[in-house]
Amino acid sequence: MGASKKESVEVDKKEEEKKNRKKTQRTKKEKLSTEESLLHLKQEDTATDYKVFSEDDASEDYKSVEKSEAGDSESSGDEGFHNTGSNEGLANEGQSEDSEPDQGGEESDSSEDEVAPRNTVGDVPLEWYRDEKHIGYDIAGKKLKKKERQDKLDSFLANVDNSKNWRKIYDEYNDEDVELTKEETKLIRRMLKGKAPHGDFDLYAPYVDWFKWEDSKHPLSNAPEPKSRFIPSKWEAKKVLGLVRAIRKGLIKFDKPKEEPRFYMLWGDDASSSEKTGHLSYIPAPKPNLPGHEESYNPSLEYIPTQEEINSYQLMDEEDRPKFIPKRFMSLRSIPAYENVVKDSFERCLDLYLCPRVRKKRINIDPESLKPKLPGRKDLKPYPATCYLEYKGHKGAVMSISTETSGHWIASGSSDGTVRLWEVETCRCIKVWEFGEVVQYVAWNPLPELPILAVSVGQDVFLLNTGLGNEETQRKVKELLHVATSTVLDDSGNKVSAWSWLQDDKHEGIRLRHFKTVYSVEWHRKGDYFSTLSKKFTQRHPFKLHGLPVSAVFHPTRSIFFVSTKKNVRVYDLLKQKLIKKLENGLRDNVIVGSRDGKLCWFDMDLSSKPYKVLKCHPKDITNVAFHRSYPLFASCSDDCTAYVFHGMVYSDLNQNPLIVPLEILRGHASSNGRGVLDCKFHPRQPWLFTAGADSLIKLYCH
Amino acid sequence: MVPRKKHYRPAGKKKEGNAARYITRSQAIKQLQVTLGFFRRLSILKGIFPREPKKKFKGNNHTYYHVKDVAFLQHEPLLDKFRDIRAYQKKIKKAEAKKNADLATLLRTREPTYKLDKLVRERYPKFVDALRDLDDCLTMVHLFAALPAVERAKIDVELIHNCRRLSHEWQAYVCRTYKLRKVFISVKGIYYQAEIEGQKITWLTPHAMQQILPDDVNFSVMLTFLEFYETLLGFVNFRLYHSLNVNIGFCMLYSMASVSFAHLTYHAAIDSADLYALSRYIVSNTRTSTLEPKAASSSTSEQLEAKEKEMQADESELRLAQLQHQLPSNEPGALMHLMEGAECENEDDQDTKECKRLFKNMKFFLSREVPRESLLFVIPAFGGVVSWDGEAAPYKEADQSISHQIVDRPTQGHRYLSREYVQPQWIYDCINARIILPTEAYMVGRIPPPHLSPFVDNDAEGYIPDYAETIKRLQAAARNEVLPMPGVGKEDLDDPQNLLVEGYISRTEANEAAQTKKKMVTLEKQYHEELQSELQGAVMKKSKQGSVEHAKTSEESVPDPKQIAEDIDTMSKLGMSRKKRGLLEAIEKGKERNTARISKLKERKKKLKSSEN
Repeated sequence: MGASKKESVEVDKKEEEKKNRKKTQRTKKEKLSTEESLLHLKQEDTATDYKVFSEDDASEDYKSVEKSEAGDSESSGDEGFHNTGSNEGLANEGQSEDSEPDQGGEESDSSEDEVAPRNTVGDVPLEWYRDEKHIGYDIAGKKLKKKERQDKLDSFLANVDNSKNWRKIYDEYNDEDVELTKEETKLIRRMLKGKAPHGDFDLYAPYVDWFKWEDSKHPLSNAPEPKSRFIPSKWEAKKVLGLVRAIRKGLIKFDKPKEEPRFYMLWGDDASSSEKTGHLSYIPAPKPNLPGHEESYNPSLEYIPTQEEINSYQLMDEEDRPKFIPKRFMSLRSIPAYENVVKDSFERCLDLYLCPRVRKKRINIDPESLKPKLPGRKDLKPYPATCYLEYKGHKGAVMSISTETSGHWIASGSSDGTVRLWEVETCRCIKVWEFGEVVQYVAWNPLPELPILAVSVGQDVFLLNTGLGNEETQRKVKELLHVATSTVLDDSGNKVSAWSWLQDDKHEGIRLRHFKTVYSVEWHRKGDYFSTLSKKFTQRHPFKLHGLPVSAVFHPTRSIFFVSTKKNVRVYDLLKQKLIKKLENGLRDNVIVGSRDGKLCWFDMDLSSKPYKVLKCHPKDITNVAFHRSYPLFASCSDDCTAYVFHGMVYSDLNQNPLIVPLEILRGHASSNGRGVLDCKFHPRQPWLFTAGADSLIKLYCH
Repeated sequence: MVPRKKHYRPAGKKKEGNAARYITRSQAIKQLQVTLGFFRRLSILKGIFPREPKKKFKGNNHTYYHVKDVAFLQHEPLLDKFRDIRAYQKKIKKAEAKKNADLATLLRTREPTYKLDKLVRERYPKFVDALRDLDDCLTMVHLFAALPAVERAKIDVELIHNCRRLSHEWQAYVCRTYKLRKVFISVKGIYYQAEIEGQKITWLTPHAMQQILPDDVNFSVMLTFLEFYETLLGFVNFRLYHSLNVNIGFCMLYSMASVSFAHLTYHAAIDSADLYALSRYIVSNTRTSTLEPKAASSSTSEQLEAKEKEMQADESELRLAQLQHQLPSNEPGALMHLMEGAECENEDDQDTKECKRLFKNMKFFLSREVPRESLLFVIPAFGGVVSWDGEAAPYKEADQSISHQIVDRPTQGHRYLSREYVQPQWIYDCINARIILPTEAYMVGRIPPPHLSPFVDNDAEGYIPDYAETIKRLQAAARNEVLPMPGVGKEDLDDPQNLLVEGYISRTEANEAAQTKKKMVTLEKQYHEELQSELQGAVMKKSKQGSVEHAKTSEESVPDPKQIAEDIDTMSKLGMSRKKRGLLEAIEKGKERNTARISKLKERKKKLKSSEN
């Protein structure tokens, strides 16, 4: 008993030394109490012992603990001196006389426990002692007597009475009843669960390798310490030297460099900074456009497009589509983030560094200043300006008109198949000739003494006696027309095959029959000749033509003949019978040509074959152009129901350019079948203009 | 002796004219021996842009740089610097690849840097030049101040805080020198226009919302621009503050504190409060005498104190001392006193004086939901005193001296009778009109009248919206009344009916005086009608219709002059050369487009009116 007590105290000391935090309450008690019940002490003992083991030797395994417990239980029987170190050897001495051999076998393991068993038989089958009076021997070699057996009834009764009976275990080896403490039951439970018996025991404590493996392939070496370990490193010394030098030189600085202020007065005095930079001029980028009303978050309602308009934007081309559609938000808080903020900014950046910049002078031009300075129209009077008379009577579009040289009469041919003769001043229709077909063209003979009218109808050209003038002229005309029937006219050339001369009694004239439709008839200024244009040929004239002729005109004063084909205008000299000039695209020597694309060209014959001036005045085809014989006027008429009157002055000074001034736009005709004004002619003496419209009217414009 | 050729040119190589003066971009890159990215960066920083040669000798799809521009780039020290930096980066990379972490960190600490101040000076030899080009700079800086930091786009937090700081400095300057002239809230953001040294500077700030970063934007280009703009704006701010005798160093220190604070807990309220405090600091510093510190009353300094706790101790103490010394006490009277002091000091131009006086004697309070940052900038810039709902506010909502509360909510619960509750648009409209507008239309819960752009010259545009007309009338009335007696009561101004009538009377008088031409009479008649219809609702429909009919008959009776005019026009066109005619037609087309636009607006307006009735 004394020994065990001593040991327990020892253990306590150990614990204190190691400052074991997990002191149990019982060990504390133990410090103080020396006189306690045996059993109790024993129990203490085991607990502390176990602790010692667990601390001292971490590798002590579960088995040993079990053993210790077994030993513990043995020790409860009688208190004997025991030695941890020696008990193992002595364990086998005693042989138990217990009847249960298997249990004893198990129990015998515990003999190696540090708690010395009173029985020292060791690990022998206990059945060997079954019939003996003793159970074994104590450490001194004395026999340990078996206890007297209680009879079963008594023991049962005792068991029934005792509530702690379930804790009692009969120890065969030491032949005693052992009562298990709480701690022990706990341990047993833990063992049953397969855990380490003590809660504090760490099964997986980190392994401490006490052996030094450093730089030794083999654990031990007998080599002497090398010299180098005692000599300072040369290279280190060099490095240090280098560093020292660097520090001395100031290459290495230990204090951080002073931070200069990031910003300072960059622009000191603006006056001093007027130095010129040597490079190119800087063109500042144009500033971004400032927002208008429509970009407001709450624009006026009229700026917001309707839903239909927004839908219509979808149909537009990508480029035309408005980039920004105004929206209205009822309050400031409801404005969402604008999704293109970054993108807009980025595009601006791109513009800034990628767009070529050009300095452009933005001139604020007054549109009026662009218009050329022309003499006032008032100075250029007289010119036809207002509609004065209308000649009504035709039922179809008036295709062509012609004025008589005296200016008293005009003749008109219409698509209703009639040719009418009008008195200019009274609007009276003097005479009507009826032809079955559309009258293409009418032309007066320019000779005043021969009032003959040439009319082209279909494939025929009629030379009509108008019946004007006094009797003498009448007679002359009749004679002329009559003679014409009998003999082939000289001027028509040798070949007769292209047309034939016939006497037309009905209209009192001559009828020339062509093979193809005749478009126009034009008299020579002396009235001796006329030209006709049919689809295939004109009269047999000695000129070769390229392309289909459109119209032909005699020069008013010189013996020049103009034929316009679809491509260009050819100018022929009649005397020499050869081509003088070819006018690209088309009178002294200025020619005006109206073309079907609505352009009016003014050619100067002496200068070049390119037009001197092109006036694009009509949006539609020009049907006819005319110039005045005495006034510096010319006119053009077009299918757009207008006729333009121009002032075209040509100076005798060759250095001075001709002056062309548009004077008046004459309106009044109505369009029918897409055709407007079909013909225009000037009055031979007065500055009057006759226009023939597709609306079956002839109008006279006077100044 | 044969004269030597001045410039030797190998045979067969023709270099003259445009071909000698311009080179394409790829040629330039080859010449400079840089990558395209470097070239781009360099040209952005240097402000080199392509130019348009008269003849594009390499074709239309090339960009052409002037040879001198490229040479200018070639002599730029930055080019070498960039090369050095690149080599240095390679060193670091190498060290890292060799797992030499020590060397890599050492190298990182000594990375070569570059400065752009020389470039700023070079591009803008005079301060005015810099101001002239400041529009894009400000827009960009303000945009980035509103962007989130994004790793993938390499927009880091410091950059954004720097932008924010710069923008605050700028706004504080503009605010406290009363240079702001116009403000316009558009869908894209808020446009501000300030006039500094005679330069009109317009910039756009995005709405304070979460911004979306699109994927199809090359941020490296934008960041290069921003790099230059940051430097430029920094110098401009420095110069501007210098002209006020304020050391920007302190401001920067102060705002840096706020930035580092913002690192920890950032939110906009504190930020805008910073702006306010910053601007007030400037004001206080422009004065010659400093106020006695009233530490207890200054809530702003308290707030700053709180911030400074985050900072290191000594620094914060120093700054606290500065702040307490220089920030004015928070009582409104003291603030007003301060402003007056500043006012006497510098001689301002008429415009500035007018701006300074606009919100004088008015006290504003901002509710939670209004855009605080903008209003805190705008209201003091026009002489108002403002507080807000939140921490560090100068005065609380319960303050009885508040004259206007800016509210942007459908209904206002508790109302103080002593103040008016208006929507924020009222402030902006007042600023643009430069008068105090009647508040009736802007009351809580109403749909405010249209917000019109102050940048549009209505007369030149040809179409004047209705509300612009009313504002014009109000302005005329205000001018007439205010000029003789400047100390006019607010109550008189606020009555819209009075104003309308007064404006009307003044206008009619003016018209009578100028009643010589017949056109004017008809105009006035129209004006009468409009006015009456505005005053009495649309009762006058009949008379209008009658007048229209009359106009129609008159048109029919005299169609000739129109025709004649047209004829004359077309005939005069006939004689023109083709070039001039083209020009004229272009002009006419432009005019036509304008008239079409206007007529569309008018048509829509008419439809709206008819649908209303």
